[in-house]
Amino acid sequence: MGARIDSAPALPDGTAMPTKASDWPRAARRLVEYLTALGVRDRQEIDRLGEQVRRRLDARAAHAPLEDAVEAAIEEILALLDDWLTAELDIGGDANALAAARAAVLGGGIPGWSARWAGLAGDSLATEIRAFQRDAVPERAPLTMQASTIDLCCHRLRRRIAAAICRLFCQPDLPTNPRGDRS
Amino acid sequence: MTTKHGRFSGWGRHFHRPIFFSLVILTTLGAMSLLSAAIQDDGVTPLELALLILYAILMLWITASFWTAALGFVRILRRMGRRAPADDSARNDQDEGSEPFKTALVMPVYNEDPERVFAGLRAMVQSLVETGRPEGFEIFVLSDTRDPETWIQEELQWRRWALELGQPARLFYRNRVENTARKSGNLADFCRQWGGRYRYMIVLDADSIMTGETLLEMVRRMESDRRVALIQVPPVPVNRSSLFARMLQFAGSLYGNMFVAGLAYWQQDTANFWGHNAIIRVRPFAEHCGLPQLPGHEPFGGEILSHDFVEAALLARSGWKVRLADDLGGSYEEIPPTLIDYAKRDRRWCQGNLQHSRLILARGFKSLSRIHFAMGVMSYLASPLWLLFLIATGIEAYFRSLKVPVYFFGDNVLPVWPESYAVEMATVLWVTLALLFLPKLLSLVLLAFDPVQARRFGGLPKATLSVLIESFFSVLLAPVLMLFQSKFVAAILLRTTVGWPTQERGDHQTGLAEAVGAHGVHTLIAVAAGVATYTYVPAFFWWFTPVLAGLALSIPVSMITSRTALGRLARRAGLFMTPEEAEEPRVLRLLDQHLATPQALPFAASSDRDFWSQSVAAPCAYALHAALLPDETPSRRRRHALEGLIFKLQDEGRDSLGQQEKRTLISHRDGLYELHTLLWAGKEPPMPVARTGNERTVEPLAS
Repeated sequence: MGARIDSAPALPDGTAMPTKASDWPRAARRLVEYLTALGVRDRQEIDRLGEQVRRRLDARAAHAPLEDAVEAAIEEILALLDDWLTAELDIGGDANALAAARAAVLGGGIPGWSARWAGLAGDSLATEIRAFQRDAVPERAPLTMQASTIDLCCHRLRRRIAAAICRLFCQPDLPTNPRGDRS
Repeated sequence: MTTKHGRFSGWGRHFHRPIFFSLVILTTLGAMSLLSAAIQDDGVTPLELALLILYAILMLWITASFWTAALGFVRILRRMGRRAPADDSARNDQDEGSEPFKTALVMPVYNEDPERVFAGLRAMVQSLVETGRPEGFEIFVLSDTRDPETWIQEELQWRRWALELGQPARLFYRNRVENTARKSGNLADFCRQWGGRYRYMIVLDADSIMTGETLLEMVRRMESDRRVALIQVPPVPVNRSSLFARMLQFAGSLYGNMFVAGLAYWQQDTANFWGHNAIIRVRPFAEHCGLPQLPGHEPFGGEILSHDFVEAALLARSGWKVRLADDLGGSYEEIPPTLIDYAKRDRRWCQGNLQHSRLILARGFKSLSRIHFAMGVMSYLASPLWLLFLIATGIEAYFRSLKVPVYFFGDNVLPVWPESYAVEMATVLWVTLALLFLPKLLSLVLLAFDPVQARRFGGLPKATLSVLIESFFSVLLAPVLMLFQSKFVAAILLRTTVGWPTQERGDHQTGLAEAVGAHGVHTLIAVAAGVATYTYVPAFFWWFTPVLAGLALSIPVSMITSRTALGRLARRAGLFMTPEEAEEPRVLRLLDQHLATPQALPFAASSDRDFWSQSVAAPCAYALHAALLPDETPSRRRRHALEGLIFKLQDEGRDSLGQQEKRTLISHRDGLYELHTLLWAGKEPPMPVARTGNERTVEPLAS
């Protein structure tokens, strides 16, 4: 790993600001902090990734003004990570595989992943990343489990008694058989 | 029939239940006749009839307990007499021709301490590895945890250990979206999703510990009889150090052994399920143990709360054997550390057990299952019945005190002395006390016959002293528990539902405020009852003093017994020693080791911020949590709900969100993503971040 970072990545002169002039330095500062939290500690890697984020922000800002440059920068760095993982592992469109890969790299333990992400290392890390993925649950092996019947004696008895009482007292005017005889 | 493991064989086994129930009924009738002789001086008044009925019910309960212990005593004595069976626990004579199968160690958890949960599982798995036969076992943490912080910690613990275990994966974790039907629903969900993968599941509680040898032996026993659906291994209480808990551990270890042997004697193949530390054949369980909702509303209707008894009854109803492995050790659990925690646990269990009263007469259950239900109900109903009995006895004594003896009447020249029933009453009392305390004496007799075991209990003299002190405290604590349980029963009968609070498992001590809050009423009742009885029925007052003393001293006794220093002092003095304390089993040492080296968080959390927001912000925890959430397309309604919560968070701060709201926010990938980016877009970084020359560090997850 290279030198550690204590300052924001440099901004090239004449670049369009994401929103307004004061936003990018703040966004860049937070971007460094965020990248550090991700596990990217090398100055060169951070510069390279910061540059890519800036370009993405520029593109976004060209379409519509950014509400919050810092938030947009965080979103873009995450998108950048997802793009790299998708390409690295060839998992286009599989959201679960992407989430598992993200957990594997950000969980630590894969040496050189940030360099590869920043485009500073050549060898694919697909095998290493897969080795650090864990399935939380095994493949489904379902069994049918229906609710058993428990025939409560007193419950039925209570209903029967209530029904009998009702038959006797509640509806005395109703006929109890088809011929209309009353009980 | 097999004679292995102390199970009685041949025709003799058909007499076990008749012997047990005859002894119970004859003893109850004998005690009843004594009491009726004592009170029937001139006919039976309604109050005396009530006394007789109450006494009959309570005597049935006491004698059942007594004869269970006594038969257990005989059984253990006979087992001692025989040559010790060869230790076949290590033998694994699985049918060589049988297909390979898997056994799941399932641990349902609900807001438990993740450190303890995973330390326990690690100790068990390590013990299993040390047997040399860990293959075929998988571990499944079935989380119903609702607390969002605990949820994230469980995931972090899972991932760390899963990486350590390597491939193929043997450790699994899932958190249920909705905790429908609580623990039984949790297990049912496991069966529905993954039940087909396993032949057996060993159900554990969050504080369960089992040795590898016992796990293997459980599987071996299931394999040796394909009609057995469940084997319950009685757990021995361990690991607590308060005086209260150590007394309970001592009692559970010393007397429990005898009671369990007695239960196995008369329950035979229709034993019970205690909810954990049991092996279950998964297919019959899935086929027969889906629990219905009981008709009506809580507390007696709705979900079946104490599911274990019902599941055992359903298996027995379907012709499966349910056994209690009284001869199998290596099964442990932890108990509440204080009297108040013990009462709180009772509150949770009480409603579930009382609910079983509706099942006693339900169709199709075996008679013994009905008896299990009835005994479960009685374990809580006994307290209000004792209370009623005491009140009725006091009133009866008061009425008797009002009677002025007439020595001369009619044509009698000599005085006619009133008939005294003091001898009969004293006999009733002594018989009752003998039934309650004789099992303690029997357990000491067993120790006298087994010097090796006696040494494990601190030696016979110290064990005897421990029994005496434990008996003294149990006399003091019994009336307090009686009032607690009576209150719980009354609350439930008045249709007050109980919550499902997490059990307090760690050692902690009762403070004055907590003790006064819990026992203040008990003390007042003691004072009022004492003054009333002393004033109106002084003779009864002195009989009543043990009960009054227990209540009057409940505040200091509750505080004193909660003290861990006293518990440790007693241990140093060799009192309340248990075999597990004298020679700590390897698996418990492993647990201690894991607890002594807590797993560091994979990110540097600041103590001045809440763990929830820091863990959502920490990329490693965020990414892991997101990976374990289901991939769902958010509905408009859900999106609005999540946005609402985000706005609330932004406008009113983190403290404005309740636990449920925090859980909701991190229950969906979209909400989690919003939250993560929002936290990082704030004025300050949401967690300590490493910089050059700065001591704050961010460490990778698996470093």
